[in-house]
Amino acid sequence: MNKTIISSFFLPLFFLFIIFPVVALWINLDWAGIQATFNDWYFWDAVKNTIIASGLAGLLSLVVSIGFGFFYLFHRDSVIYRIANLFNDLPIALPHTVAGLALLLAFGRKNFGFLGQTGVAFTFFSLVLAMFFVSYSLAARTLVSGVDQMEKEVIDVARTLGDNSAQAYFRVVLPMMGEALVSGFVLSFSRSVSEFAAVIMFGGNLPGKTQVLASYVFTQVEVGELKMAVTAACFCVLLSLLILSLLGFRRPKYAKG
Amino acid sequence: MLKAENITKTYNGRKVLNEVSLEIRSEIKALIGVNGSGKSTFLKIVAGIVVPDKGRVLFSDGDVTEKPPEQRNFGYVPQHPALFQHLTVEDNIRYGLRNGRGSEESFRKAVELLDLKEELKKKPRELSGGYQSRTSLARALVSQPRVILLDEPLSGMDVALKDKILPEFRIALKAADVPVLFVTHDAGEAEIVADSFAVIKDGVVRELDNSEEAFKFMSTSN
Repeated sequence: MNKTIISSFFLPLFFLFIIFPVVALWINLDWAGIQATFNDWYFWDAVKNTIIASGLAGLLSLVVSIGFGFFYLFHRDSVIYRIANLFNDLPIALPHTVAGLALLLAFGRKNFGFLGQTGVAFTFFSLVLAMFFVSYSLAARTLVSGVDQMEKEVIDVARTLGDNSAQAYFRVVLPMMGEALVSGFVLSFSRSVSEFAAVIMFGGNLPGKTQVLASYVFTQVEVGELKMAVTAACFCVLLSLLILSLLGFRRPKYAKG
Repeated sequence: MLKAENITKTYNGRKVLNEVSLEIRSEIKALIGVNGSGKSTFLKIVAGIVVPDKGRVLFSDGDVTEKPPEQRNFGYVPQHPALFQHLTVEDNIRYGLRNGRGSEESFRKAVELLDLKEELKKKPRELSGGYQSRTSLARALVSQPRVILLDEPLSGMDVALKDKILPEFRIALKAADVPVLFVTHDAGEAEIVADSFAVIKDGVVRELDNSEEAFKFMSTSN
């Protein structure tokens, strides 16, 4: 199969189903919609909620991934690792409405009601938890893939120089995995920015409180404000492109063939 | 004295080491074997990185078989320099000092012996292959280990460079005055560095008088 044949099916399908829908958003963008959206404080609240909650979810994902990476590297036979590994990819396969419902039952009124009438549900913190739940596995997998690529002998050397496994992990492994850590955070952050179902189930869609960009777009479509929805959607596209460009420039480039 | 007794290790049903015993006094002992002969596995068992199926590792008559690498204080110089890329050459060499291993004096001595003074502020990736290997050895020496284990530390280096570095390695290793196990597939390399010789083949170790005998043994029995 040569380059022409590959291009003949790749280009039309890619442009029609990936590029064109994004272009369609920009075609429908107009000045009135931009003005109305940018003058809407709920939009800026949604932007703020999205960025802060996604950032916190990304950081939380990174912290938990670092723990998972340790067990992956040094205790792969342990029960803790086996259970963690089993549950790691669950959020990817699980419908995110189910994830939202699970979080609602776990941290809602029934179990955490002492924190308020609804427990943790429908608070800003619930956004972070919902985003973390669906994005953590991306950070964990990225970190583990970084661990797989590293030269294991550096760990052996560190240990012969007196480090125990935890010291070797924090002093040698993690500092040498800067790229995997950044990628893990960015992937988790970007997945969190795009999350809708789990967020709306667990955090609700309260304008100015728990509304995020994804739910803001949904709301504007629901109430018939399509121009504002388009503006917010284009803003999301720009935000996503910005995040992904952070990842893109770190990827290795291969020779042309 | 370092003593390995009846070390046995099996990987995927293949007995890589079969009741291997070896003694090393304060000397440089070369363990020569072809690729896949189990010499690196043996060295890693002595270092505590790999756990043997059977057998014991003794140091000064104390059994260290169950001890993890960090409790043995055996220096390890792997096949690839395995330098900590995020640290400078100096911080690499000083690494053991963070854990109370070695001293300023041992640092100064290792830097001098291996001619690393001009390289200390560099990052490992800025070093040539030869200096990376020197740094790797210096890092092990500074921690004043009770035993030094070298796993083909100059593999992949060209012959001319090896011929220059090997005598320097020997001087540095002799100065440490501890048992040294130098694993290699190259009998010529062993000749330059080692005081005594052993060959590993088919999971069994045989001690020989000189590297020539070792070379003959390896070639005739293959």
